Amino acid sequence: MYYIILSILFPVLSGICLLVRKEMKNRRNLLWTTGILLTITGVLVMLSLYTWQGGMLALFNLTPRLPILFKIDEVSVIFAVMAVIIFLCAGFFSFVYMKHEDKEKRYYGFYLIVFGVLLALCFAGNLITFYLFFEMLTLVSMPLVLHSGTREAIMAGLKYLFYSLSGAYLALFGLYFIERYGNTLTFSPGGVISSQTAAGYGAMLLGIAFAMLIGFGVKAGMFPMHAWLLAAHPVAPAPASAVLSAVIAKAGVLAVVRVVYYIFGASFLRGTWVQKTWMALTLITILMGSVLAYREPVLKKRLAYSTVSQVSYILFGLSVMNTDALTGGFLHVLCHGFIKAGLFLCAGAIIYKTGKTRVEEFRGVGKEMPILMWCYTVLSLGLIGIPPMCGFVSKWYLAKGALASALPGFWWIGPVILLVSALLTAGYLLPVTIRGFFPGADYEYNALEKKEPSWLMMVPVLILTVLSVAIGLVPNELIDYLWQMIEKVL
Amino acid sequence: MDFVQNFPAVSILLCLFAGIISSGLRKKAARSVNIILILIVTFLSVCTLFYTMGTGEAFVYVMGRFPAPWGNEIRAGVLGPLMALFFCVIMLLSLEGGRKKLVDEVEEEKTFLYYVLMDLLLASLLALIYTNDLFTAYVFVEINTIAACGLIMIRQNGRTIEAAARYMIMSLLGSGLLLMGICMLYDLTGHLLMSNIREQVIYLYSAGEYRIPLLVTIALMSVGLAIKSALFPFHAWLPDAYGYSTVSSAAVLSSLVSKGYILLLIKIIYRVIGFDVFYNSRIIDVLFAFGLMGMIFGSVSAIRENDVRRMIAFSSVAQIGYIYMGIGMGTQAGMTASVFHILSHAATKSLLFIAAIGLTDVSGGSRKLVELTGAAYRNKWAGAAFTVGSLSMVGVPLFSGFISKLLFSQAAVQNGTKMLPALIVLGISTILNAIYFMKTVIRIYTPVESGKYKGIQFMKMKRYCLTLVCFVALNVILGVFSQPIVDLIEQGLVMFS
Repeated sequence: MYYIILSILFPVLSGICLLVRKEMKNRRNLLWTTGILLTITGVLVMLSLYTWQGGMLALFNLTPRLPILFKIDEVSVIFAVMAVIIFLCAGFFSFVYMKHEDKEKRYYGFYLIVFGVLLALCFAGNLITFYLFFEMLTLVSMPLVLHSGTREAIMAGLKYLFYSLSGAYLALFGLYFIERYGNTLTFSPGGVISSQTAAGYGAMLLGIAFAMLIGFGVKAGMFPMHAWLLAAHPVAPAPASAVLSAVIAKAGVLAVVRVVYYIFGASFLRGTWVQKTWMALTLITILMGSVLAYREPVLKKRLAYSTVSQVSYILFGLSVMNTDALTGGFLHVLCHGFIKAGLFLCAGAIIYKTGKTRVEEFRGVGKEMPILMWCYTVLSLGLIGIPPMCGFVSKWYLAKGALASALPGFWWIGPVILLVSALLTAGYLLPVTIRGFFPGADYEYNALEKKEPSWLMMVPVLILTVLSVAIGLVPNELIDYLWQMIEKVL
Repeated sequence: MDFVQNFPAVSILLCLFAGIISSGLRKKAARSVNIILILIVTFLSVCTLFYTMGTGEAFVYVMGRFPAPWGNEIRAGVLGPLMALFFCVIMLLSLEGGRKKLVDEVEEEKTFLYYVLMDLLLASLLALIYTNDLFTAYVFVEINTIAACGLIMIRQNGRTIEAAARYMIMSLLGSGLLLMGICMLYDLTGHLLMSNIREQVIYLYSAGEYRIPLLVTIALMSVGLAIKSALFPFHAWLPDAYGYSTVSSAAVLSSLVSKGYILLLIKIIYRVIGFDVFYNSRIIDVLFAFGLMGMIFGSVSAIRENDVRRMIAFSSVAQIGYIYMGIGMGTQAGMTASVFHILSHAATKSLLFIAAIGLTDVSGGSRKLVELTGAAYRNKWAGAAFTVGSLSMVGVPLFSGFISKLLFSQAAVQNGTKMLPALIVLGISTILNAIYFMKTVIRIYTPVESGKYKGIQFMKMKRYCLTLVCFVALNVILGVFSQPIVDLIEQGLVMFS
């Protein structure tokens, strides 16, 4: 039971130790230390998931009604497992990648702290604990954005900070009201709004719910508060972008899941203006993200725009509020997590090996590093949603859920936008493959040299690729698990 | 009568005597007297606090054995000793943190005077906390003002003299208004002891007599104290006074002196006018509105400032605004939040001042933000402490600032009409705070290439670092273990009236 505390404290404390320690003379020592610390954290998380017997773990009270509380439920499991896999993969990838950046110790220190805070976020058992770590996540992940220290990075960091703080404040605003009109702040499936105290305040509570959605949606890059993501994700080092895009943006999704299904309850919001507006916002974000990505020449930026679009797929699934759409949404959480992390790592490997960042420079990259490019291609196909890749399964359920929903207008607009956006996704991801493998007739094959990255870079990418394919091939176990959870919350 | 009941009076008298004795001592001796004095007062306050917590009610201590309507009284509940204890701790830490700067900035033969002024300041603060007599309160307000002026002026340069003159004029205006209020109240009720005045005020109010004079009295006293504690439109004296005086003075002035006046105002609200009468007058809405404006304009001024000390000073204007907003809500919860914010702001602001001086010292003494680039690497301890202070000010969980914001918002949610403006302004002000504090934190952590300024090691400034550690610990304690403190404050406010 106390493994939870350990799995949160261990990475945070070891990160702090790493930060305050003197600069290590030998780079190898630093890497070994970080590698071992990351692995231990992963093991601790797995142990805490296995040994959990239900119940809650209250630490202390902030004020009489606000305890700091941890628990593990199905949602925690999904997000925690995803976080561990991606953090480990990106962590080992950065051992090579970070060679060409300086201030490595600071990077690994904050990387570990972010890991710990993110796990705390997964395990948080009530809204106040969640909010506490949500704020902290912003602060500790900012150094990853600021890492290069250029003017661009600092401006992006500031933007990130202000968007996140404003969003978190909007959410905090709601917390006070829920404390007054709800039974408790503890996450409970089906919601906590008390029918007695909240009677007559329905309209106000809907407004609060909307404010919280927008506020927490900032982290997930939902329109109209998406601008920070486009600035912040590409300026970080590639493995950090992978983590930011694949996991930290999901913290916003986790927040929305908690607020909608564990605080307000689906029945409270279904059919209201909040649901419709929210759905409209997610659809706008999906389309906008894809269009922007399509027009963007720099690969890392393109991937960041794509994150905006893809995370909103998940939010769209959540906003429909029926079993199929929710299944699709949660599948896409994992799917997008693994794929986007993998894609960013591919982009990182290309930058590390060739120094090329713009898509039109990628001529012949596939000839130089075929295995990497194949991984990239498979991952892209997954994100586009071509069967039997995982993106197909999640989008299938999303579309099915949308069609089954009785919402006027949205039931057909939703699937149409999903399709259009899938086409655009193909349009912005595949040119890399095409240029990479088919450099054209005037390409000088004689000057070709193999640049395949080392195994320490290759293995994380391969693992993520295999995972994304595996989810697409054998999704049934996972879907059963999701259905168990969805049954409770709907 | 229990022996402990003597302690409040004894601590005030001790401070006064220590001030008088120190004026004949040399520098080192005056310093030791000051430190010992603060430690003794801390100890006495702790004893009194535990005593009142044990008995569960406030006690009245009659000075000079004259019975109630004529004599002079001291009254202590839970809140008084708590504040006294806290003020002592902050004063000790602020003095310790600025000690080295004091040696540099104040002429050698005047240093003993600094400690004399500090002793007197502590005496007046304790008196404001404990007294039950309105006129005694006024007398000590004046002592407080004079001591504060001295503290600003003791670092001799043109700007401090100008600042002190400004402070003097504004402050005396405030005292004047307060005095007029007290005179009118004496005229209306015939008493100077707080509890007796309240009986009469309630009688007058329920009889419906002297409505307008009573309103004017409340207005005069509130505005007088608002000027003295730098509530928004009356804050013009503040940035220079805090920005240019020696650092201990700035820390003490911002975290203790202005808070003493606010405590007096709270005391007047509860014990002199009565909460209901005060609530029914419109003055409370005026305080609320000014508080809100202060929260925004203070932060906006701070954003436009590029001198780090003045920026922190302007942030005080915003924080004082928070406190008045809490008072202005006119609920028990709002008042609790305000009193907690007094503690939280005192702990944070003095930390920021002390940490900022460590940063400016390793940047060639320049206080311009541009010069501070990378200062946190040159003085790691001050950098970390400044970051903690900033996070607390912005209201990040785990630090004291978050708890006060939480309390303010909870109070706001319970208040029907003032809920929306309070919450919206709280939100805006949080973001504005984040803008200038985070900007500074990022600036001090931005690495610089050239070794233009030299860094400083831990061994060279052990005591300074330990002070910072104490301050940070205080902040975290307030932020994490706030529950017993909030309980104490609530209990104290009940005993207050």
